[in-house]
Amino acid sequence: MANLLNLLISGLATGAIYALVAIGFTLLWQTSQTINFAQGEFVMMPAFFILAALHAGVPFWLSIIFGVLISLLLLGLVFKKALVDPMLKHGVLPIAIATMALSIGMKESVKEFFTAEAEPFPSLIPAGNVNIFGVEVSLQSIGVLVLAIVAVTALNLLLNRTSVGHQMQAAAQNPTVARIIGVPVERMILYTFLINAGLVALASVLITPIYLAKFSSGEVLGLAAFIAAIVGGFNQVRGAIVGGLLLGVIDNLGAAYISTQYRGAIPLFLLIVVILFRPQGLLGRAEERTV
Amino acid sequence: MSDTILEIENAVGGYGKMTILNGTSFAVRQGAITTVIGPNGAGKSTVFKAIFGLLKLREGRILFAGRDVTGWSQRQLIEAGMCYVPQGRNIFPELSVRHNIELGAVAAGRSITDMPARIERALDRFPALRAKATRQASTLSGGEQKQLEIVRGLLLDPKLVLIDEPSIGLSPLLVQETFAILKELRAKGVTVLMIEQNARSALEISDYGIVLELGQTRMVDTAARILADPRIGQLFLGGALEPAS
Repeated sequence: MANLLNLLISGLATGAIYALVAIGFTLLWQTSQTINFAQGEFVMMPAFFILAALHAGVPFWLSIIFGVLISLLLLGLVFKKALVDPMLKHGVLPIAIATMALSIGMKESVKEFFTAEAEPFPSLIPAGNVNIFGVEVSLQSIGVLVLAIVAVTALNLLLNRTSVGHQMQAAAQNPTVARIIGVPVERMILYTFLINAGLVALASVLITPIYLAKFSSGEVLGLAAFIAAIVGGFNQVRGAIVGGLLLGVIDNLGAAYISTQYRGAIPLFLLIVVILFRPQGLLGRAEERTV
Repeated sequence: MSDTILEIENAVGGYGKMTILNGTSFAVRQGAITTVIGPNGAGKSTVFKAIFGLLKLREGRILFAGRDVTGWSQRQLIEAGMCYVPQGRNIFPELSVRHNIELGAVAAGRSITDMPARIERALDRFPALRAKATRQASTLSGGEQKQLEIVRGLLLDPKLVLIDEPSIGLSPLLVQETFAILKELRAKGVTVLMIEQNARSALEISDYGIVLELGQTRMVDTAARILADPRIGQLFLGGALEPAS
């Protein structure tokens, strides 16, 4: 029982990070039909921005602020202006291919110009355990979960309780009409790119202390977030949350109770089942799209 | 003409290489309801898009309230007092009805301070919308959605309302209700420029009519005279006005 609770909490913690990354996926898709195959690398990069600052002797907290700002700039603004905007005119597929190229470019750049080795990364959250109902649970997992919940709650408040949030939703749901009533659609799309950059930077800070900073660490994470988004429903923020958490928990429980060897296969199995029986995802709505 | 609020001068434009507007020109009188009629492909919706800056004209200009507004952004046009209600469903299905309406004030930014009161007044006028204010807009019926679009468009007190096919998909009763709203607007001094497939009913509540054909203005006259013109009857009103009938 104690083991199960531990597995659940660490599963939820991993799942919460998947959810952060998956939410970014769905936001980009909803507002600009961008499928970002470099999303995993978007999580890998901020850690290296921060490490670069740390190696230059900048204090930890300042390095994090620096890393987040650089992420907003490069993974948000520059990504949109330099890659998505010019490619979007040509359709969804060219963007998908361009982001795949970007993902390779990012990995190889880190390997070439930084390091090919796994680098340790300091944690925001102190090590140790807390006692919950008589069970020792890692403070790391609790901390990750709490920070992710805070971020998602803040995002939800922004999207649902503020005028800017409503405008962002309007721009995603019906851009033509949004423009007609005076919503600055382009700016709203930029905001979603900045939010995505913020989410991946947070995910990076939370996950890198656990899995170390390595040029290839985005591969697994990007795939997990992609699966989470599809399982939950690609066009719903809450779908991404549910998909992420579900995947994290199933991943952890599966590894413990079924087989560690098939750990990588279990999410794919889940993906196949969902695509077969509910292709729009658990919480998604079917989209009509002419191909 | 001092009582002209909108003037289209020799508009030429279209989509890609296809020219739809072929020198369209007409003027719209302030405080009146004017209906644009014409066969499919005459350029009715296209001229509305051109007026609202959604279609770049190759030639010609648009004058609104004495100013040349050719090439203005939607936001600028809204601020100048124009409002456009396009054909079909123009709601944000997953936002609540109230939030949909509130978005109508976006273009004004913070310059309007009595927005909550305005929204309350609008909801008072349309009890069906008030009853569903917190529900997703996708739960509204077709007629209620049109009402929502009109309410949203009126939030900033526009001088000119461009409304494209307001009756499409509505029951006859709802068409009458929608037309009643347009008449209310006219009573308040708002100018309405409307496109209607349902040309006869639309002209009956209109002051003026404009007949477009192949992207050119064929006729601009009072609605009564257009309704009485046998040629128009045959061409655009389904032959209902032929002398024999």
